[in-house]
Amino acid sequence: MNILGIESSCDETSVAIISEGKLLSNLISSQDIHKVFGGVVPELSSRAHLQMLLPLVKKSLNETGILPNQIDLVCATAGPGLIGALLVGLTFAKAFAYSIGKPFVPVNHIEGHIFSGFLMEEKPEFPYLCLVVSGGHTLLLLVEGDTEIKKLGSTIDDAAGEAFDKVSKMLGLGYPGGQKIQETAMNQRSDFVDFPIAQCKNEFDFSFSGLKTAVLRFIQKEYGDPAKIPIKDAALIAASFQKAAIEALIKKTEKAILKYKISSLSLVGGVAANELLRNEFKKLSIKYKKKLVIPSLQFCGDNAAMIAYRGSKLNEANIKYNLDFNAFPSMNDYSFIK
Amino acid sequence: MDFPFKRILSTENETKFVADFFSKTLGGCDTVLLTGDLGTGKTFFVRSVCSNWGIENVSSPSFAIVNEYHNGKKIFHFDFYRIKKVEELFDIGFEDYLSRAEAVTFIEWADLFEEVLPKNNFHVHFDFIDNFTREITITKNE
Repeated sequence: MNILGIESSCDETSVAIISEGKLLSNLISSQDIHKVFGGVVPELSSRAHLQMLLPLVKKSLNETGILPNQIDLVCATAGPGLIGALLVGLTFAKAFAYSIGKPFVPVNHIEGHIFSGFLMEEKPEFPYLCLVVSGGHTLLLLVEGDTEIKKLGSTIDDAAGEAFDKVSKMLGLGYPGGQKIQETAMNQRSDFVDFPIAQCKNEFDFSFSGLKTAVLRFIQKEYGDPAKIPIKDAALIAASFQKAAIEALIKKTEKAILKYKISSLSLVGGVAANELLRNEFKKLSIKYKKKLVIPSLQFCGDNAAMIAYRGSKLNEANIKYNLDFNAFPSMNDYSFIK
Repeated sequence: MDFPFKRILSTENETKFVADFFSKTLGGCDTVLLTGDLGTGKTFFVRSVCSNWGIENVSSPSFAIVNEYHNGKKIFHFDFYRIKKVEELFDIGFEDYLSRAEAVTFIEWADLFEEVLPKNNFHVHFDFIDNFTREITITKNE
């Protein structure tokens, strides 16, 4: 069984091929496209997806030696995301599936992340607690099976990754915020500023807007102009912020471990690349004796491997989709998350 | 609600109260521009307005650029914060969203790309007074 996966929901275009349960190719535009185009930095646009998709599909087929008509299943992200961007990947996938007479499976991008731990050698065991942390999403979920996912909580304002990006910008550290904050905060004491951890009405919800604002107010009060922050202070603020943001994520996760009966723990999404967060999850898994699965870095950010994997599971569950399945903008439109 | 409307807000509940009041003056296809510094409460205001329409899943669209919500009513919730060039807005179909007559559109950081904004709009602006206090100004432009 050869499965083609396509992802184009936000900034990244990605193409993957899974063959007989083995991932053979996982190409991501920001990392692999320079080899095709010679150093084009992609802008946020559906046109950029359009330019990159075909070269990536061809490259993926070439490097795996699989012919187009040897693909058995075509999977693509259908949402949530920018409609224009989604339509590029989704429409291509439908046309490709139709042309080779094989089934097409639309995939919810967040569900792709939720099951991305299964791309690893050591896989999560049901039921598992899953924390999805990315630029656009922060969700805590109880995953009981391929189609049984219970949402415990989510952010009521900013996503965790968004807070990293915005604070990084305030400190003049640049983009991508997650990486810059982590590098700057490395080996710094994290008690320079005691930033607040938000309380929410629902015990498993998150809020990062207050933390972001607290950092901004601290900068304005202490230095007036962000340009006047001494470099060593920027590093200390970054470390203090990182500690508070991660503590918020860990606190809710620990609460859920205590409340629900689970076998494993999984940390997924772009922010799962953060070393401190990974370490804190390791501590939790040791403390509560739970199996821990954190995908390797290539499966944390947006990627098509997770889309191909998720699509293959929906296909195994015998769920049939027609070619008139449309792209959808919000999480709630089509999802197994209840 | 009479415009321009100006109030000092000292608690979240006061913001909610103004949002309730404001939501009743909004028609089915209005555009609401939101401006003010980081952390002055733009997203919270949109969340509070939408809550009156039974929509509870509002969150920041900074990363996604646009969130869509629906519950009988259709809402587009934009954020220009991450947009670098106006072409990016055209590319994601900004004009198509605006021409959808049946939706209410919110635009955070609208002042970053004034050239694309519709002339008929409500403008909600937040000024930071201190850690707990904001001033809200709502104007109606025709």
